[in-house]
Amino acid sequence: MIARLQIAGLLALAGCVIAVAVLAGDATAQAASPWRHAYALPVIVGALTFGMIGGTVTALASLMTQAPILFIHVESVGLSAGTLDELVSAAILLVLGPLLGSRVTEARRQSERYATILALQETLADERPLRDALETLRCRLGSRLRADVTLAVRDDDQWIMVGTHAFSGETPPGRAAATAEAVFVPDTGREARPRRVLAAPLSVRGETVGVMTVERAGEFPAGERRAVVVLAFHIGAALENARLAARQRRFADELAEKVHAATDRLAALDRAKSAFVAMASHELRTPLTALVGYSELLATRAFSTDEVRRQAEIMRRQTRRLAAIIDDFLDLSRLERGEAPPLRLADVAVGPALTAAVELLGGPQRTTRVVIDCGPDVSAVRADPQALERILMNLLSNALKYSPAHSAVTVHARRAAAVVEISVEDSGRGIAPDALPRVFEPYFRAPDALGRAPGSGLGLAMVKALVEAHNGRVHIDSTLGIGTRVTLQLPAVP
Amino acid sequence: MVHGGLLTIAFGWAATSPPQWRPLGPSIIIILVLALAAAGVRWDPRAAIFYLASPLWLTVLTISGRLEPLGLRSQIPVAGSLLGFTAGLMLGGHMLLAAAVTFGHRVTTDSFVLTAIAYDAGANVPSSELFFRGAVFNRLQRRWSFVAAVTVATAMSLVRYLVDPLLPRAPEVILGTLVYVTLLGVINAWLLWWSGSLLPGLIAALVFFAAYRMVAAV
Repeated sequence: MIARLQIAGLLALAGCVIAVAVLAGDATAQAASPWRHAYALPVIVGALTFGMIGGTVTALASLMTQAPILFIHVESVGLSAGTLDELVSAAILLVLGPLLGSRVTEARRQSERYATILALQETLADERPLRDALETLRCRLGSRLRADVTLAVRDDDQWIMVGTHAFSGETPPGRAAATAEAVFVPDTGREARPRRVLAAPLSVRGETVGVMTVERAGEFPAGERRAVVVLAFHIGAALENARLAARQRRFADELAEKVHAATDRLAALDRAKSAFVAMASHELRTPLTALVGYSELLATRAFSTDEVRRQAEIMRRQTRRLAAIIDDFLDLSRLERGEAPPLRLADVAVGPALTAAVELLGGPQRTTRVVIDCGPDVSAVRADPQALERILMNLLSNALKYSPAHSAVTVHARRAAAVVEISVEDSGRGIAPDALPRVFEPYFRAPDALGRAPGSGLGLAMVKALVEAHNGRVHIDSTLGIGTRVTLQLPAVP
Repeated sequence: MVHGGLLTIAFGWAATSPPQWRPLGPSIIIILVLALAAAGVRWDPRAAIFYLASPLWLTVLTISGRLEPLGLRSQIPVAGSLLGFTAGLMLGGHMLLAAAVTFGHRVTTDSFVLTAIAYDAGANVPSSELFFRGAVFNRLQRRWSFVAAVTVATAMSLVRYLVDPLLPRAPEVILGTLVYVTLLGVINAWLLWWSGSLLPGLIAALVFFAAYRMVAAV
């Protein structure tokens, strides 16, 4: 569009020069021709079309065209009112061209500056990666400033560079970054025409966040250099705005993700608690039913002494089971309040503790064997006897629960440095890898375990809490189809 | 001697830029050539042909790359040369027109014109362009702006022509020198800035001075 306007202006200019030469070129006239004012036309057109250079060149051309005629008049009549009028008219043209042209040039530059600032705001407001946005900005600035532009911007700990200029301590951009001041090199000395380089820091609140380097062959006037420094300031501010906007977007995304995750966790917890209530009701109902049934039998019927003893034994076991479940609930409630379980520490021999736990679980009807591998060198542990019993009972009951009939559960105990390591290993179906990290969470039960075996989902959570209360550690290994091994370490008695 | 001095200084400045070279030999040769031609012309105007040895020597130096810092390269800028020729023609044409129409000078093309043109081609134009444009303007524009450099270089060349004892002291000649040397200086500086070569300016100046000699021969 601008090129077409300039061509049209050039044609108009040529037409005006020809017309003026024909109309005002009456060298033989003794008086000043009124047509001499037509010389202003090409000067105005030249200034409006080509700015400062156009105005100056057309004014000089106009003066040179007039000069031969003007001198003839001055020579023939001297400095009369008429010739003085002609001289003043010529002088006015000589001033008019450059003056009007300079105003037009300045107005165009201002317009270009606003357009450039608008372009950079648009470019940096995009949600693209910073490097892509800087590359686009570099191309736009290069075409607007008619120069090679390089942008170096600090992004957290690294520098992103787009462009060809080297960036080191001795180069203009390196010096601008170090001093936070614009650096101007009048000539890089590499080519026939001087190549001028301006490196302007991109600053935000006194901190240099980057450098813009502009290299141009030919003129780089002081006014334009100031404009580039101002532009660099705008780029710095726009970069900061873009960075803040990106940070806000990232923060909002992270927040939404966290809220989503928390909602998922709450929903899972809600489902787990609902499942727990159903399961707990079932777990409590089983021993209660046994107790109610046998107590009614004892109350309403007469049995032999052996039968009474047998039924009393069943009632005793169910009562212990009920008490264990209620203990688990109470301990879990205490743990959820952030309280450690109360411990009465003593030196407990591992071998007898293992044997007692197996016996407590044992019934002659059990089809799974328990093999204890505890050498005589295994020392005692410093533990609460009741807590240790609950730990072992939980681990053993889990192992027995998920082991196939006629298989074996192996319990190993060994001394390892300052701890005693006890592992309970079964040959059950194992735990899926995605469920393994969660088995120590309260209420959690592996999806494939639900409905296959009774359980509260509290056993392993209690084991972990009790072991850690003893300053011990527990971990679980499992392979699907092979089995599961739970290993715990408790402080050994020195 | 003035032309030889100007060319020697220009060579000295060119020799300090990479690739550096010793300017003494080339300077002595150009001074000897100009001195011999000047002495020969006193004896016989046809000896002006010896002035043409100067551009030949400058061509040799240009091809060897030693005058590159002054804007003379072995490549010929065709568009720039045409523009230089046109600028010289317009400026010289205007001067001829103004001299003929305004001051009633007659245009002549006698043998003295050829002698003067040979002097311009061998001494006047190369020394002015290599010194004022190639050395002074070219150096200054690398430190300052175009306007500042062209102002200083043109003012210096204007002073050099105004103090030239060969310049007629008629008012219209002084006025013409002020106008045309200024315009020629600005145009040639712009041609050097635009094309990166001194050749367009040399052509413009040669064409202009050829036109000037046609008037001056009256």
